Amino acid sequence: MDALIAFGSQLLQGGLGNLAAYLAAHVLLCLLPAFFIAGAMSALIPKQAVTRFLGRNARRTVSYPAAAAAGSLLAVCSCTIVPLFAGIFRKGAGLGPAITFLFFAPAANILALVYTGSVIGPDFALARLLLSLVFGVGIGLIMALVFSNDDAAHDRATDTLFAAQDARGMHRAALAFLLLWVALLLLGTLKLDVLTRAHLSLDLPLAGVDAWQQMLDRLVPHDPGKGEEGVSVQGVVLIGLLVSIGLVAWRGLETIHDGVTGWTRASLALIAATLLFAALSIQATADGLRIGFTGKFFGIAAALALLRHLGRNRLSAEELRDWLWESWRFVKQIFPLLVIGVFIVGMARVVIRPEWIEAIAGTNSLLGNLAGVAFGVFMYFPTLVEVPIARMFLDLGMHRGPLLAYLMADPELSLQSILIISAIIGKAKAWTYVGLVALFSTTAGLIYGAWVDGTSPFLLVLWLVGFIAVVAVLLRVANRRSSLSQEAHHAHH
Amino acid sequence: MLTIKVLGPGCANCRKLEQIARQAAESLGIDSQIVKVTDMKDIMAYEILQTPGLVINEKLVSSGRIPTAGAVVDWIKAAGQAG
Repeated sequence: MDALIAFGSQLLQGGLGNLAAYLAAHVLLCLLPAFFIAGAMSALIPKQAVTRFLGRNARRTVSYPAAAAAGSLLAVCSCTIVPLFAGIFRKGAGLGPAITFLFFAPAANILALVYTGSVIGPDFALARLLLSLVFGVGIGLIMALVFSNDDAAHDRATDTLFAAQDARGMHRAALAFLLLWVALLLLGTLKLDVLTRAHLSLDLPLAGVDAWQQMLDRLVPHDPGKGEEGVSVQGVVLIGLLVSIGLVAWRGLETIHDGVTGWTRASLALIAATLLFAALSIQATADGLRIGFTGKFFGIAAALALLRHLGRNRLSAEELRDWLWESWRFVKQIFPLLVIGVFIVGMARVVIRPEWIEAIAGTNSLLGNLAGVAFGVFMYFPTLVEVPIARMFLDLGMHRGPLLAYLMADPELSLQSILIISAIIGKAKAWTYVGLVALFSTTAGLIYGAWVDGTSPFLLVLWLVGFIAVVAVLLRVANRRSSLSQEAHHAHH
Repeated sequence: MLTIKVLGPGCANCRKLEQIARQAAESLGIDSQIVKVTDMKDIMAYEILQTPGLVINEKLVSSGRIPTAGAVVDWIKAAGQAG
């Protein structure tokens, strides 16, 4: 019994520790701006600017890149993904671009990329982006060729949905607003010396701070060697600020459609204060706190001032309201899942033995990559929770190749998404898609893993060329079959 | 009798839009019914690329964003005059 209680408390401590460490160290400077960027994309980018390239008559060289762009710019939530996917498939450019869109959207939307970059590493996020782009277009092309006969139904549909009624671009202030948020995100997350070094520092004589820090280290024991992070005094204040943002935003942003109130202004002010506070470097010393004003801090302060100016003078009240609402909606939708997910990951970490992971996926083997993909397909995690899970695997000794294979497969495939896809395009196509995603994810993992292991770029190119050659041969066969049947079709007429 | 349809699979935005549409209809005191369309096939019957969508008397008036209560009131008035 005592052993059970000890085990339970160990689990709980693991979960809480993981959660506290994540909230304090990572979330703020990366997720907070990312939510506002996602909101701005959703509210300020006119959809016609992208979707007019997805009409039925668009050329392949235009429609596939446009589908990828739609995936990363427009589809930040599943509310958008399903109608857009169905629209592109039924009334727009057809199966191929629709599949490209479907593959690219969950892997390359701004929240997923930013979060991957800050939790696992920028090189990993870049690999995820590039390989998803190449393979997304590849899978789209293959699907379009394999099923070219079945695409007839969509010839009867009209093009009006994608015709550019008023294809205005974004107006300049809205674009500047969006780019400033991106700049703020980069300032906060890039690890450049100019940004992280304290250019000015201030010593606050506060007795007992070091005792506090020691207490925190005891509460959340951590081992830097295993990639674990503890909680700092700054982290505790940040968690407090986050909770208060949540409380104030519930009154200020939830009711934004009824008008801007003092609560709205208070929540915006709190968010700005949190971003600035998170950018400071704060260390507990023997006789107080040493507060360092980093390059980050000044950069973020400047960006916030400009954002405030643009928001007040150049954006319409409607644009601001839509932007705040969309951002808040993303927070409401994703953040609770993320908190619960990170908590559970922290508990799982206590149970899972590193030896298991190392035995299965410790090296960049075919088996390891397949295991990564299989885990991704059969486990369903809510949006973004796959990232802390991947981090856990990495810390437990998983090789980066299989890890990428897992990260490529997990958001693309789940029982839920397979059901939605097959409802729209049919079972045969849906399962072909699932098979292709599994194949391509494994390949992506193998290639990236080989690169991490230091395989010469020459060999990697050979690998990639070989893979493309195999796919191309398959395509030719499929293409010939379909053109033959088309000729037969014409002869019949 | 006015029929207002809210198109959307049940995400946060669709619920918000339904609430705003209800408010607008009530403020006008018009005899109306609000229908929630959640099936993807039925939603795709309208020219819509992004939910939530608002349909008044079978005419799509807004999609992809949440309109203000004032705008919805105007659309309902216009639909009333047309019908």
